[in-house]
Amino acid sequence: MPRSLSIAFAAAICAGIGVAGYQPARSDFDGWREIAWPFPRDGWPAGRAFRCATEACGGDVEVYVRPKIGFCNCDSGVADDDEVDRVADLDLISQRFVPLAPGEVIRIDEMAGRIREYDLQMADGSRHAAIGIAVSHRCDLLVAVAQGKASAPEVERAALEFLGTDAVRQWMTAAMNGS
Amino acid sequence: MTGHVKLATLLCVSFIACGSGAYAQSQVIGAPPEASNMKLVGSNDLQARSAYQPTIHHQGDRWIAYIGHHGGSDAIPDPVNPMTGKAEPNGTSIVDVTDPAHPKYLRHIPGQEGTYEAGGAQMVRVCDGKTLPKGDPNAVYMLRTFGGEAHEIWNVADPANPVLITRLGGLKDTHKNWWECETGIAFLVSGAPDWRTRRMTQIYDLSDPAHPVKIRDFGLPGQEPGSTGAVPTEVHGPISAGPQGNRVYFGYGTDKGGFLQIVDRDKLLNGPKEPTAENLRLPEISRMAMSAFNGAHTTFPMLKMPIAEFAKDKDGKSRDIVMIVDEEILNECLEPRQMVWFADVTIENRPMVISSYTVPEASGGFCERGGRFGSHSSNESMAPVFYKKMAFIAFFNAGVRALDIRDPYHPTEVGYFIPSITAATDKRCVTIDGKDRCKVAIQTNNVETDERGYIYIVDRANTGLHILELTGPARAVAGLP
Repeated sequence: MPRSLSIAFAAAICAGIGVAGYQPARSDFDGWREIAWPFPRDGWPAGRAFRCATEACGGDVEVYVRPKIGFCNCDSGVADDDEVDRVADLDLISQRFVPLAPGEVIRIDEMAGRIREYDLQMADGSRHAAIGIAVSHRCDLLVAVAQGKASAPEVERAALEFLGTDAVRQWMTAAMNGS
Repeated sequence: MTGHVKLATLLCVSFIACGSGAYAQSQVIGAPPEASNMKLVGSNDLQARSAYQPTIHHQGDRWIAYIGHHGGSDAIPDPVNPMTGKAEPNGTSIVDVTDPAHPKYLRHIPGQEGTYEAGGAQMVRVCDGKTLPKGDPNAVYMLRTFGGEAHEIWNVADPANPVLITRLGGLKDTHKNWWECETGIAFLVSGAPDWRTRRMTQIYDLSDPAHPVKIRDFGLPGQEPGSTGAVPTEVHGPISAGPQGNRVYFGYGTDKGGFLQIVDRDKLLNGPKEPTAENLRLPEISRMAMSAFNGAHTTFPMLKMPIAEFAKDKDGKSRDIVMIVDEEILNECLEPRQMVWFADVTIENRPMVISSYTVPEASGGFCERGGRFGSHSSNESMAPVFYKKMAFIAFFNAGVRALDIRDPYHPTEVGYFIPSITAATDKRCVTIDGKDRCKVAIQTNNVETDERGYIYIVDRANTGLHILELTGPARAVAGLP
């Protein structure tokens, strides 16, 4: 084995050790499949993205979810709807979004926060429904955004069912706990 | 095991050893401070309260340090004030530093209840009544935040017995203010309840501190009430060049997606005030976007700096420079490095980063020491002793760093001081596999200087105030004897 390959091999072994707790598991829950993170790099590490294109999801729905470590007000958490507007990654999809209604309190595992429905104006002029979710644990945030051509309640139902599956919940918990 | 596999295994073990802190230099109680060309003159424990902004004010024949505090910790939410015997939420420490070798703690003014960023009274600025256009000439006014919910002005003419003058409340957050003593104009980082951002700027005429006059609210288009769509990142703090300079330099973002905004002060103060997107855009001259990896905590202007290298150039021999300091947020290097950037803003609509500075991590094994490693803030005094010659950067577990900035295209570190930890120094933790793993390290949070050339650093992890002076070649940079 050439020396350069030995080094590459060593680096690969080390990298494998370093990310053991963050293995992306391919998912296929009632039509959901993991897809590549579709957004350019920004200040936060990329998260995970999933798509469902079956009737069970009400059509074509995508969910993007990632932790934002060290972003939350440590004491007040996700206090209001403005916070959801700011942090829930809607702007990655489109800078133009309008909330459809006041948000609601939501709890994902032990993390409390808010969920809100939006109308997105896409770059091609089409309209999508979107759901922004932001929940917190201590000083850290977990954000998720879902979008699709179905109605906002349909997108919300599909997204929450998916985020509630055991595998996704386990990944979210691990990602928030530094694993 | 083949030779190649052995080599790979050895390399892997080496990588892991290096990455896990084989060279970490953990601090221990009783060990001396680490220093180069800076030495300790005096110190005060500040009642073991987590410290933010220090402001040093020459008051008659005395020198008084006013130091803002974060809220208390989970372990000790309200430390006991030994002077009163009572548990008091962290607020403002007032210390007589006339004799820097023997600082004398005068008074603690309690702040808002709450721990860490949720309580305390982090910010403080001071103006003499005789300097303010409509101030009481016998008064000395201290502007401070009261947690996130208010700004307060106290008369500290007798610094041991402050008197509350004014309170501007009903806010959802506050932060790093700027107050022009010659005009009374104050740029108060606030959270107006109806704005879509946690922090924006409320501009007041505080020329008569007893009768504040609101001038306007200011922020970025998209933050104003009633707007929709993406919300730009929040302001951290402005610094004004005053009516002569006619510019205000705003720093946005803290550790991510930051930018420097250059604003026409006259248009800001006298332009249309209704918070519409158009009116918010009007006073802006330019914005310089930073990497998504970095934010702008402090934007410190140094205008018309002569650059020796350019002295023979027909044009451009002096430059307008803004030093931008990011704030590290996460412990133990869990985010991109936050550091110092120098921007040449001479051509205001084309500002450009020209140089940068960071502490070399390997020089102290800082990623493994515990707590934050990265920049937080700089001195903000524009007194001639150091202005445009030296800058002092609070670098958390790497202490304070003294930079020679006479050539801002090539800033050079000429000294540093990392205080010793004490029994009061609080732990800092990271979460690993769902459990806290904690270390104790100095967390130099802020730094300020006075006209005499003393350097004051304060610790976020409860280690108190350290008063320093330059030694050796670093003194020569400042022209000190």
